[in-house]
Amino acid sequence: MPVSSTPNSTSFESSQQESQSSLKASAAYFESKGTLAQRIDGFAPRSQQQDMASAVEQCIESQATLLVEAGTGTGKTFAYLLPALLSGKKVVISTGSKALQDQLFQKDLPTVQAAIDYAMPVALLKGRSNYLCIERVNSFAHRSGGQSPQVLAELVKIKAWSAGNRSGDISELGPIAERADIFPLITSTNDNCLGRECANYDDCYLVKARSRAMEAQLVVVNHHLFMADMVVKESGFGELIPEAEVYLFDEAHQLPDIAIQYFGQSLSSRQILDLCNDVELAYRTELYDMAQLAKAAKKLSLSVRDFRVAFEGERDRGDLRPLFKRPKFAQQLPSIREDMGFLQSVLKLALSRCELGDSCYERLCKFISLFDKIVQVNASGNSYWYETTRIHFTLHLTPLNVSERFDQELEQRKAAWIFTSATLAVNGGFEHFQNQLGLASATTLLLDSPFDYAQQSMFCVPRYLPQLRDPKIDQKLADMLLPVIEANQGRCFFLCTSHSMTQKMAAVLREKSNFTILVQGEAAKGELLESFIEDGNAILVATSSFWEGVDVRGQALSCVIIDKLPFSAPDDPMLVAKSEDCKMRGGDPFAQVYLPEAAIALKQGVGRLIRDHTDRGVVIVCDPRMVHRDYGELFVASLPPMKRTRDLQQLIKFIHESD
Amino acid sequence: MNAKFYIMSGSVSADSSELDEAACQIISRHYRNGEKVFVLANSQQHAERIDEILWRFDTAQFVPHSLSGENPQQASPVEIAWQPVNARRQTLINLASSAPNTATYYQQIIDFVPGDEAGKKQARDRYRLYRQMGIQLETLTYNDEFEDLS
Repeated sequence: MPVSSTPNSTSFESSQQESQSSLKASAAYFESKGTLAQRIDGFAPRSQQQDMASAVEQCIESQATLLVEAGTGTGKTFAYLLPALLSGKKVVISTGSKALQDQLFQKDLPTVQAAIDYAMPVALLKGRSNYLCIERVNSFAHRSGGQSPQVLAELVKIKAWSAGNRSGDISELGPIAERADIFPLITSTNDNCLGRECANYDDCYLVKARSRAMEAQLVVVNHHLFMADMVVKESGFGELIPEAEVYLFDEAHQLPDIAIQYFGQSLSSRQILDLCNDVELAYRTELYDMAQLAKAAKKLSLSVRDFRVAFEGERDRGDLRPLFKRPKFAQQLPSIREDMGFLQSVLKLALSRCELGDSCYERLCKFISLFDKIVQVNASGNSYWYETTRIHFTLHLTPLNVSERFDQELEQRKAAWIFTSATLAVNGGFEHFQNQLGLASATTLLLDSPFDYAQQSMFCVPRYLPQLRDPKIDQKLADMLLPVIEANQGRCFFLCTSHSMTQKMAAVLREKSNFTILVQGEAAKGELLESFIEDGNAILVATSSFWEGVDVRGQALSCVIIDKLPFSAPDDPMLVAKSEDCKMRGGDPFAQVYLPEAAIALKQGVGRLIRDHTDRGVVIVCDPRMVHRDYGELFVASLPPMKRTRDLQQLIKFIHESD
Repeated sequence: MNAKFYIMSGSVSADSSELDEAACQIISRHYRNGEKVFVLANSQQHAERIDEILWRFDTAQFVPHSLSGENPQQASPVEIAWQPVNARRQTLINLASSAPNTATYYQQIIDFVPGDEAGKKQARDRYRLYRQMGIQLETLTYNDEFEDLS
C-alpha cells in the first residue's frame, strides 16, 4: 500500500516544531508517515486524533482525570488505545454497549496491537449472563420433558457449538441467544450458580474468563460490569475486575445512569416468591417435622400476590411516595412485613439443620432489612419507585446523586481516569456530565469532528408542522415528508420518541408509500439493519435503541427524521430522581436536567447520519419548539454545524445535488 | 408611542435581501433586549424569507420565532406575520409597504426608508400615517454596528 507523502517537507517540520509543546510521544504514531499510517491499511492522519492521544498520554503519566468529547470521525478509539498500550501499565477499558465491547476487542485492539507489536496478554470480560453455563445445559438435557421440539433442537445445536468453543460467549450464537425461552436455560444467575461445588467448575467459561481477566495487562469490560465490580469491591466480597493503573471509559455519557442503577437497591416479588418456594422445598425434604414453615411461607406468598394486585394496571412504573399513602397500601405494607417476620422467626428455629434452610434464613434477613429501607419513603436523598410486570412488582430505591461516591472511588484508586464519548458536552460545556459523576478537577478536551458538516449535511425544522398533540400528526407528517423521502429514494431512518408513534408512523408510511418499511420490534436489531442496507431504499422506523451506536456508512443512510425533541417522560424514575436532587441543590430541573439530557439524545440521533468524509445527508426534526422556544438555541448549539433551512424544497434541492 | 425610521443607504431597495438582512439584525437586537417583537411582512413568501434568515443566523445570535399559522402553544418572543393582528406587543418591526392600522398597539415601531425611489415614496406615506395616529417620529441612519437600544 502506498504511503501518503507530504509534498512540502519543510512545512511538515515546522508544524511539528510549533506543536511540540503540547504533542506527546504517542502523537508521532499518528503522523502521515507514522507507524499507524505505515502499518494500517487506509489510515488517515487527523490532527484531532493526535491531540487526543497526547492528552491521554499526559493524563496517564500524571494519574489525572480527563474528559474528552471527540466528534464523529476523530478516531478516538485509536487515540486512547495507543497511549494506553504504550504506557505499559495495567489498563481497564469499559464500553457502554456490548456491541462496542466486541468491536473493540475483535477489531480495533488487535489492529493496534499488531501495529505496535504489543505482546502483553489482553482479555475480554462480560457479565455472568453472557457465558454459557455447562452445568445448566447438561442438567437440562436430563430433564428436558415438557419443552417444545423447537427448543430441544436449538439446544442440540448449542451443545455442538459449545463443544468446540473457547470463550463460551453466547453472543456468538446469534439471535438464538436472545430468545426468552432459551436464554435462562443455558446461562446461570448468581442465585443458581453452584460455585466451587459445581462438577464443571474447572471447565466453567465464566471462571476461565475471569481468571484470564485477572492475569491480563489490558481488560475490556462494559459499564454494567464495571459498576457491579465497584459495588462488590465495596462490600468486601471479592472482585471481578483487576485493579488497574489506567481506567478508560468509552461511550462515557451512558455511565451516570448505569452508576445510579448500581448504587441503588431493589426488591422484587419474584425474589420473595422464589424464597417461599425454597422454604417449602426445605420443609418437604429435610425439615418435614416443621409444618409451621410451609404455613408461614404460604401466608407470605399470598400477601405478596395480593400486594401485586393492589398495583393497578399491567405494566407500569411510578413514584412510591403517593402510592404508599393510599389506604390499601397502608394496610398491606404492615401485613407483608409481619408475614416476613413470622417466617423469619420460624426459620430461626430450624437453623443449622440443613443448608437450604440456613440459606433461606440469610436471604430473608437481607430482604427484610431491604424492605424496611425501601418503605421509609420519606427519607431524603433517594428516589423511591416501583415497576410492575403482568405478575410481578419490584420496589426500587435509587440514590439521587452518585457524584460523591464516584469521586471517592477515584480518590481511593491511584490511577488515571479517562472518560470519552462523541456526546459528552452540552453547548460546549462538560458541567452536566461532571455534576453527575463528580470529577470536578478533571481536565477537559473538546475535539470537533473533522467532517465538513456545512457541506455534507443540511438540517431542517419544516414550517407549519402539525401540532405535537394533533391526533392526525402521523398522516400529516407523512404527507409533508414523503416528497423528501422520495427525492432521497428512501435510505431513511424515522426515529420516534415513543413506541406508539413508531407504530403509527410505520402504518401510515406503509399505506402511503411503496418503500420497504422496516419497523423496530418486527425483527431483531441486527437483522433490521442488515435488511436496511441490503434493500438500499428502505425506511426504518424505530425508537430509542436505534438512537445510539448504529453505524451505517455511506449513502445507504442519508436521511434522518426525528419526530420530536427527545425529552424524557416526566415519570421516568431516573429523571424524577435527578430532578429532585437538582431542586434540593437549588437548581432548575428543566434547565439543568431535562434540557441537557434531551440535547445529548438529539446529538446521538443526528450523529447516525454522517459517519464518513464522503457521507452526505439531511436531518429533519419535526418539533417546532426547536425554532419557537428560547431553548432551541441550546439544541442548535449542541448539534454539529450543519447548514440550516426551514424550507423542504431547499432540502430536496440539496438531495438532488448529492446525486 | 414612538416610531423609529432607519434610513438605508442608496443601494438597499425595498423588498431586497439586504433590507431583510438588516431587519433581521435589528430583530435580533430587540429580542436580546428582552422585548416581545411582532414582525409584519408584505406577504407569506416575504415572511418565510425573514424566517429563513433568522433560522440560519449564527447560534450566538439565535432568535426564537414563529410564523403566523404555526400557532405555537406558548407564544414565541418573535412573531412574523403578513397580516396585521389584534394583539398587543411591545415592538412592531414593519417590513410591509403600508403602515398597519394597528400601529398604535405597540409601544415602539421600527420602520425603514429604503434607498430606491418607489420605496422612499411608500415610506413617506407610512411616516405621514403614523403621524396622523399621534405617534412620535424619529429618523436615524442605519449602520450595522452594535447600537445601544436603551
